[in-house]
Amino acid sequence: MIIILITGCQKEKISFSDNASDVFYVENEGAAMRVLVQGNTSSKTFILIIHGGPGAGAFFYDTKFITQNIGDKYALVYWDQRNAGASQGANNGENLHLNVMVNDLKKVITVLKFRYGEDMSLFLLGHSFGGMIAADFVTSSDNQYMIKGLINVDGSHNYPLNDTLTREKLLSVGQYEVSQNRNIDKWTPILNYCEAHKGNFSFEESQQLEIYSTDAENYIDSIKHINIVSQVLRYMISDKYPLTAMLTNLIYSEDSNFNKELAVTQFSTSLSKVTIPVLLLWGKYDFTCPVALGEDFFNRISSTDKSMVISSKSGHYMILQDKDFFCNEINAFVQTHR
Amino acid sequence: MLKPGIFILYLFSFLICQAQNDSINNLQVRRINLKLSSNSSVIYPGISAGIEFPVFQIRNQTWIVKSVSRSFYRSRYISGNISWYHHPEFHDNLYLTAEWIMRRTRSGGFISEFSCGPGYSRTFLSGTTYKVRDNGAVTIIKNAGYSYALITLGGGFGYDLSMKKKIPVSVFSKMNLISMFPYNSTLYFRPVLELGVRYTPSHN
Repeated sequence: MIIILITGCQKEKISFSDNASDVFYVENEGAAMRVLVQGNTSSKTFILIIHGGPGAGAFFYDTKFITQNIGDKYALVYWDQRNAGASQGANNGENLHLNVMVNDLKKVITVLKFRYGEDMSLFLLGHSFGGMIAADFVTSSDNQYMIKGLINVDGSHNYPLNDTLTREKLLSVGQYEVSQNRNIDKWTPILNYCEAHKGNFSFEESQQLEIYSTDAENYIDSIKHINIVSQVLRYMISDKYPLTAMLTNLIYSEDSNFNKELAVTQFSTSLSKVTIPVLLLWGKYDFTCPVALGEDFFNRISSTDKSMVISSKSGHYMILQDKDFFCNEINAFVQTHR
Repeated sequence: MLKPGIFILYLFSFLICQAQNDSINNLQVRRINLKLSSNSSVIYPGISAGIEFPVFQIRNQTWIVKSVSRSFYRSRYISGNISWYHHPEFHDNLYLTAEWIMRRTRSGGFISEFSCGPGYSRTFLSGTTYKVRDNGAVTIIKNAGYSYALITLGGGFGYDLSMKKKIPVSVFSKMNLISMFPYNSTLYFRPVLELGVRYTPSHN
């Protein structure tokens, strides 16, 4: 019985329907990465989500709202990067590098086309750290021609610039909030830190700025605050979360030396190579990847078909904070360019 | 005020117990056990089977006060187990463990135990696994999965029916924490709940 169940689970299942849910794995350089394809595969239009982190996993992007409002029209592809989410492997930590992850992405795309047909329309959606993988991917060789368009949602493409802009945003918004007598006790240590650390940030300073940028969102009353615990509780059973794997993968990736490599990585100088259609979606109160970072991306790409739209109701997690805006913008972009 | 006082007295009652142990190494009851249990993570299925070899068993008699005594068996086993669980869309895990079991069985039949031991795990990914070669060719990996070293720690309770009704069966529930490594260069841990029966063949 056990053997039948095990072999049955590994049998190839490719669904073409308006409500597909296929799980498969892509193995590369010591990691077997989980890929969930969900939604309308009959449309032959796929949106591949490159999650943030590193190490966060794709489970948090798979919400009922997105399934109902994007998945009904197109297929959503949730890829767990190496050492993240439900991806598995043995002693593979030495392969945790950006160039390997870009290679992973290429292989995931190759497998998607192998399964669902070369004639598919594929879009990449990079969020947060996923923006870094997407930026590396579209600026390397001819990779950008594997996809129809790029959607950058609060993504980073330049960590040193990111730190500088995060500090500026914390200062400007923090000073304004203090002037309005809002959360003064919370903003004061952030402002003091930003005043004391003006540039050429060390790795530790960069990490501290990231912590403050996450905290700062909680001090803005006009945006919806995200509770990850309630998110996990809501979906952990229905989406079959491997909770302990997600946790240990996240801890490992967050503590990995890979982050030191990322801290000095930037793609601003090579973005002029990008010519495909690009949509940038940004949260007005995103301190982690401020709007100015999106503007740098927007101004540097050579695409003639490009647009940047700001949500006034969200911070770094537009997918959860301004769901209608997020779905409407993506549906319109994909509909135009599929 | 009286109730907390009695409770505190109860907590420290071991100080007034007459700790006289009457230990008997009871060779007659050194019998192997066969085990079969469900091996789930509450919502996911699994099964485990094993055999327990007795290392020693001692009957202890502890005098609580002069006229009241409690007797129990203190036993140690080495067990070999084969276990499996199924986590849909993640993996199937087939693992072998060797455990050192410390068990205490009261004369009334109540069992408490603790176990630990090493093991070997082989996972099978819950989905078709593809490999893309450098030339772009896509192939499917058969029986894709990984081998891991494993450590298990567990504790549980049960009831030995043979103590009062002479039925050579005990029922138990046991929570195990299995840790597998190197899992993505770190470790993977998983709580697993066992609910099962042990059977002691009479002729061994």
